[in-house]
Amino acid sequence: MNSFINALPGAAAQGLIWGVMAIGLYITYRLLNISDLTVDGSFCTGGAVGVMLIMNGWNVWFALLAAILVGMLTGMVTGLLHTSCGIPAILSGILTQLGLWSVNLAIMGMKANQSINVNKYKLLVSLRYLQDFNKGKRTFLEHPIFVVGMITLALIAVLYWFFGTELGSSLRATGSNPSMARAQGINTNRNIVLGLMVSNGLVALSGALLAQYQSFADINMGRGAIVIGLAAVIIGEVIFGKLFRNFAFKLLGVSLGAIIYYVVIQAVVSLSGINSNYLKLLSAIIVGLFLAVPYWKGKYFAKAARKGGSAHA
Amino acid sequence: MKKGFAILMALCLLLGCVPALADELYRVGVCQHIQHEALDEATQGFIDALTAEIGDEVSIEIQNASGDNGVCLAIISDFVSNDVDLILANSTPSLQAAYAATSDIPVLGTSITEYCVALGLDGFNDVSGSNISGTSDLAPLDQQAALITELFPQAQKVAILYCSAEPNSLYQVEIVTAELEKLGISVKPFSFVDVNEMSLIAQEACDYADVIYTPTDNTIAASAGILDNICHPAGKPVITGDTGTCRTAGAAVLGISYYELGSLTGRMAASILKEETDISTLPIAYAENVTKYYNPAICEALGITIPDGFTALPAN
Repeated sequence: MNSFINALPGAAAQGLIWGVMAIGLYITYRLLNISDLTVDGSFCTGGAVGVMLIMNGWNVWFALLAAILVGMLTGMVTGLLHTSCGIPAILSGILTQLGLWSVNLAIMGMKANQSINVNKYKLLVSLRYLQDFNKGKRTFLEHPIFVVGMITLALIAVLYWFFGTELGSSLRATGSNPSMARAQGINTNRNIVLGLMVSNGLVALSGALLAQYQSFADINMGRGAIVIGLAAVIIGEVIFGKLFRNFAFKLLGVSLGAIIYYVVIQAVVSLSGINSNYLKLLSAIIVGLFLAVPYWKGKYFAKAARKGGSAHA
Repeated sequence: MKKGFAILMALCLLLGCVPALADELYRVGVCQHIQHEALDEATQGFIDALTAEIGDEVSIEIQNASGDNGVCLAIISDFVSNDVDLILANSTPSLQAAYAATSDIPVLGTSITEYCVALGLDGFNDVSGSNISGTSDLAPLDQQAALITELFPQAQKVAILYCSAEPNSLYQVEIVTAELEKLGISVKPFSFVDVNEMSLIAQEACDYADVIYTPTDNTIAASAGILDNICHPAGKPVITGDTGTCRTAGAAVLGISYYELGSLTGRMAASILKEETDISTLPIAYAENVTKYYNPAICEALGITIPDGFTALPAN
């Protein structure tokens, strides 16, 4: 139990980083109503761009910015494949993801794994800083939880502002009712491309942060990212859905969902004395429970009055 | 919502039957990246050797990340926050995570091909100068190239087949290419993305070459059956970088044993824990014995004459 509590900051930091990615996914999955499979590729693109630029002496913040821009490009490709070439959204994402494999390899100098040594480069976040903080060698201002937490809050603020503007509102309208949005004179195709760009920009930023945190970019690092992202979105909605009605809080809930996901993984690793080959099954069961409990609660413990009420609806 | 947490916590407590550890025991954490024959053998060798040396003074916790980087980080965080006395990182991603996580807990690697590539260190000369050391699974590549020409003196063209997702493969491909070209053989690399593409690219490699070479590539090792199904009917012999693949698909291999590599690492661990050897001065170790193995079934089917000095590959 003790080791689990000690390992919690690591899990929280990792969850926060994935939370940035989950917020990106929330934009396509919930606001635009598109399952965007580009993310498995663009996550790695972000990591690759970030690591390579830092290795070439770029400032960390500029490297992150570049990662966002390149991530937005990948989203644009998916968006244009969908809107200008008439390919279904899910297939467009798969196509981009497929192509990104080679692009990612090329970015990393045709290597499958690029290591970025924490002793050699000034990184924004690193697993190493957690230990340094515990030993008092670094202040809380450099703690990954603080740094990524601040980045997350800033992103939520910017997104909250953006989705309140005319453009952002029309983007949300595009997702909730495309025919109605078109009838109002909204260019839905442009909005879909824009939404995918914003989303993949965030995903790439998350990849660039994770690559620094684990101190390497790997061609496989995005594999299954969409599963983790969706789990975070759904866990966040299930747990905080009733609490958080405001859009900004909903985004915060998604980020918290990612943290919970990694706390669960950490719990399975730290607490189970069983054969670690069962780890994946255990994580699936626990995440499954999270998703099922609210449903059971509604189904078996619902107040009778609610049933009567629906008759008038 | 409280119910959900209650159930989760109850489950965690049920699972949390971690034995209380006595203080005087050395605690060693093993993080293996994925379930894989060679890595399993290395872990086993490590445990056996460490137990043989200081078995009654050490408690070993074995974790497997099932190929997931996120889980790998969680495992390493657990070890580090638990302040274990030594970490065994089995394969490259585990080593990278461990190196990112701690600068003072000794970390031994095994099944790593190149430490300087894995850690992004320049001018790394077998001694890291930090908390990293371990064993490398690199069989001498010049000897591997020589093995090809020894077994197939008439070979003109060699195809090198590897997965572009593997960090270590490219490094080996470059060196083997240079070594073979020195011996006057033309070499062409054939890389594939994942197992789905492998059969297509393997077919192309068969069309091009007299002999096919594969480095120590995890994707190929995991799908050696495909390689055999393509190259065997095409009548092209395969020289592999690791023994496991050779058992299924290869004609010959310059073999190191991952079990032996693991036990070498285990003895290093014992000396760090027990004799307080300074890990920063401990050089990277290589397998002591290399053996020229041939696969009797495949060599017979392809009509390959085995020169002296080769041993039949033992069945698993």
